Order: sequence, then C-alpha cells, then structure tokens
Amino acid sequence: MGKQYEIPLGAQHVSLLEPLHFKFTTENEKIIDTTANVFYVHRGIEEACCSKFKFRQVSFVVGRVCGLCSISHSTAYSQVAEKLVKIEIPRRAKYLRMLVIELDRIHSHMLCLSHVAENAGFEALFMKTMQYREFVMEMLEAVCGNRIQYDFSIVGGVARDLKPQVSKMILERLKKFKPQLDELVDIFSNNWTLALKSKGAGAITKEDALRLDVVGPFARATGLAIDVRNETEDLLPWKEVGFEIVTKIGGDVHVRNLVRLHELYISMRIIENVIAGLPESELVTETKAFPDGEAVIRLEAPRGELFYYAKGNKTQILERLKIKAPTFSNIPAMIEAFKGNEYGSAPAIIASYDPCLSCTSR
Amino acid sequence: MMKTFFKAILNLFKKPITTQYPAEHTYIPDDYRGMIGFDENLCIWCRRCEMVCPPGAIVFSQDMEGKQTYHFSRAVCIYCGECVRACPKEGAIYQTAEPAKYALHEENINNTWNKLFDESLESRAAYSAEKKRLAAEKAAAAKKDADKK
Repeated sequence: MGKQYEIPLGAQHVSLLEPLHFKFTTENEKIIDTTANVFYVHRGIEEACCSKFKFRQVSFVVGRVCGLCSISHSTAYSQVAEKLVKIEIPRRAKYLRMLVIELDRIHSHMLCLSHVAENAGFEALFMKTMQYREFVMEMLEAVCGNRIQYDFSIVGGVARDLKPQVSKMILERLKKFKPQLDELVDIFSNNWTLALKSKGAGAITKEDALRLDVVGPFARATGLAIDVRNETEDLLPWKEVGFEIVTKIGGDVHVRNLVRLHELYISMRIIENVIAGLPESELVTETKAFPDGEAVIRLEAPRGELFYYAKGNKTQILERLKIKAPTFSNIPAMIEAFKGNEYGSAPAIIASYDPCLSCTSR
Repeated sequence: MMKTFFKAILNLFKKPITTQYPAEHTYIPDDYRGMIGFDENLCIWCRRCEMVCPPGAIVFSQDMEGKQTYHFSRAVCIYCGECVRACPKEGAIYQTAEPAKYALHEENINNTWNKLFDESLESRAAYSAEKKRLAAEKAAAAKKDADKK
C-alpha cells in the first residue's frame, strides 16, 4: 500500500464550472475515495416562493432557479399549480411547452458536451460545439423573446404564441444543424485523443446505478431505461410527437457523450413533429380559483427527473413548495463513479455528469 | 498529418465565425422582450399591472388630490411581459423590442427604487386615510343636520 494523499477540487477551480467541492483520497494518482460538499449557493428560493410571491408570480421566480433548464422549472411549477387550481391547459400550450423544452434540451446538452471536450483538454472541439450551439440560442430568442430566461410557461398555459415565420426559421436551421450534429457524433465517437480521456473513465455499472437511484442521461448511459417522458402521458403528450428513449450500455464518459448526442436527434424529431402538427386553440386557460390541496409533478429536464411538490391553502400565497433537482439524485452516484480513476481525468468526469449545483442548492 | 497542416493554413484566411460586435449587431428578433412603455392618456388607473408584476418594478403613487403617477424601474424589471397581458386597456402599457439600457451604480435600488416604492405606497395610504376622514366628517355633519331638523 502506497502513501495516500488528499487532494481538494473546488469550490473555485479553473476547470470546474459549478460551486462544488470534492475531496479525493488518492494513491499513486488513483482515486480511491471521494467526499462531496455541495450547497454552496443556497438562495432561499423555496422560502421566497412561499412568503413573498403570489402563486401566479412563482412561475417566474422558479425560472431563475437555473439558467440552463429555466423552462423545465417554470413548466414543472406551472403544471403543479394547474393541478392545485384544477384546470386543464389548451392543447396548443402543451405543444408549445414541449417545443421550448426540446430546444432547451439541445442547448443544454451541447453545453455539457462542449465542457466535457474542454475539460478533457480538447479546446478546438469545445469551440466547435459552442459554435454549433449558437443557433439554438437564437431560436429560443425568437420563440421566447429572450436568450436565457424564457418566462414562457405561466400558470394556465404559455405566454407567447409561435409565429409562422419563426417556425419556418426553426425548420430551416434544424436542417442546417443535422450535418453539423453528424460531424460532432463522428468526432465524439471516433477521435483517438478524446477516447484516451473518455473511454473507460468514470464508469458505473447498471446495478450500482439502479442501487443509487441515478436519473437522466447518466442513468441511460448505463442501460437503465429511466425517462419521465417515457412514463407519463397525461400532462405532455410525448409519444404523440415521436419520443423514443435512448439507452446505451457502458456507463463511462464516452457513452454518456453518445447518449446526449443521440438524444439531440430525438429532440430534433420532436421539434419538427410539434411544428408540423401544432393544433389550433387558445393559449391560456383563465381561472380565478386559488390553489388548494397538495400535488406532485415529475418532468424530464435535460439533466434528468425534476420533481415539484406544492401545497396550497386557498390563499394567493402557497404554503409549501419543494423542488428536487436532478443533480441532487445523482450526487451519490457521482461519488461512486470516481473510484478507481486517474486523478487527471477527474475534471472530464465531473463535466460529463453535467452537474447543476445552483439547481440543487436553490 | 499533412491534411491537418493544410487545414490549419487555410483557416488563417477564413472569416471569423463570431459576430464582430460593435461593427455588426447581434441577432434581435422583432418581438424581443425589451423596454416597457406606458401611455398616460390611455391608462384607466386600475393598478392591475402593479398587482401582477413579479419583481415589483411598477408602482403608482398618489397625491392628495387623488391624481396617480406611474413609476417604473428598468433595473428591477425582468421584462416578462406579465403587466402587458394583465392590462385591460390595450396599449396603455406595452412592450417594445428595444433592449433596456444597463443599470448604473448610482442607481442603487436600495437608495432609489425601494425608497420610492415605499413612499408611493405610503402616499396612497395617506390619500385613502384622508378620503376616509373627509367622508366621516361629511357623514357626521349630515347626521348633525338631520338631528337639528
């Protein structure tokens, strides 16, 4: 047995995007044990939602929980509030929500892939992926009026309609994006230098993933078919618009990249189908009811399953709102997947988890 | 190896892919969520925009004659457009595609906007208290008159 060293990584670190602290116990560059320390950025959003803001305003507040999956949070909250006030939203609003969620998924996955490339030491691929990602940001700006904070889902429906020229523009740009995505898939699956850092790094077995309750692309890369879009049909009709689950076997960084890339094809298909079959109806269901009772909602955010719980007491202000972000579920598995890897590949492994600590800490 | 080398040389003569910002502008759609405008002549002073505004960027103050004044802070506003959707009179409050100007350090919202917000609420409370007092006086006078008769 060699000498053991403890190496800290984070909370401020050049290759780490998130306020997250890992302490690695290493032996000859091999990681043998890890402890994680999260919750550096607690902002008290849950408390603010239950004390300062009226329940219709909360969908804008929870949109600020995360910059990358803003639409997932505001949609999940809108759905839980709609359950509390007992209304059914129009069909067009459901389709538009799916459209923006999928556009958001493209930009979030592309960001994650680019950071994996950067942390693995492949700067050129980072630049390339970010360059290809830019079109989604412009499309989101055209649909929602803003690049990051969409404020698209409101209680009862959606805030804006999709213009015909915008949908035409989206289809045109998606057609242009397809060969670019093919190119990225080719680089991510065949590049030799990237494979040195990604193949076999950060692997987790299917049994461990099941035992540690992994969600999102992290779980799907181990072969587990875990996707909320595959399970629920009542709130958003995913199957109608051509959703298909992507699972791959392996569970390392390389496979996670490929799962994300192949999900982009599914996202593109969903967007095309939504635009082709957009039903004509109102955008918002009006109601004057106040939230009453309890409800839970699950929604597939880009990083995995997002969970919302809300309790109302027939007043404007909610009694309790609970947000469980996907990264929170993944933390035990993150610690597990480090074991047995080189310390040098730790940044790439962290990026491949796609952690979102501002979601987790709220 | 040679392929990569030639590609690298060729890239030197390519145009940059990024937007050359001051010279050319970034993409802004026609219905961008920009500055909030207000038309005093159309407003019916229902204060619904103030009620729905999530960050509290709109407030109405009231003087003793009952005339209301609209106040708006572009630093506090999140440009969600909720006020425009809530407005019962079309065109009284509207959203333009013009991006808002950045907030300055001097406009520290603790010293300016938050103070103004509280003062506006106080002015409205003072007006309604005054109104109540006048009404009570009037009622008392009327009662006195009735008693005399």
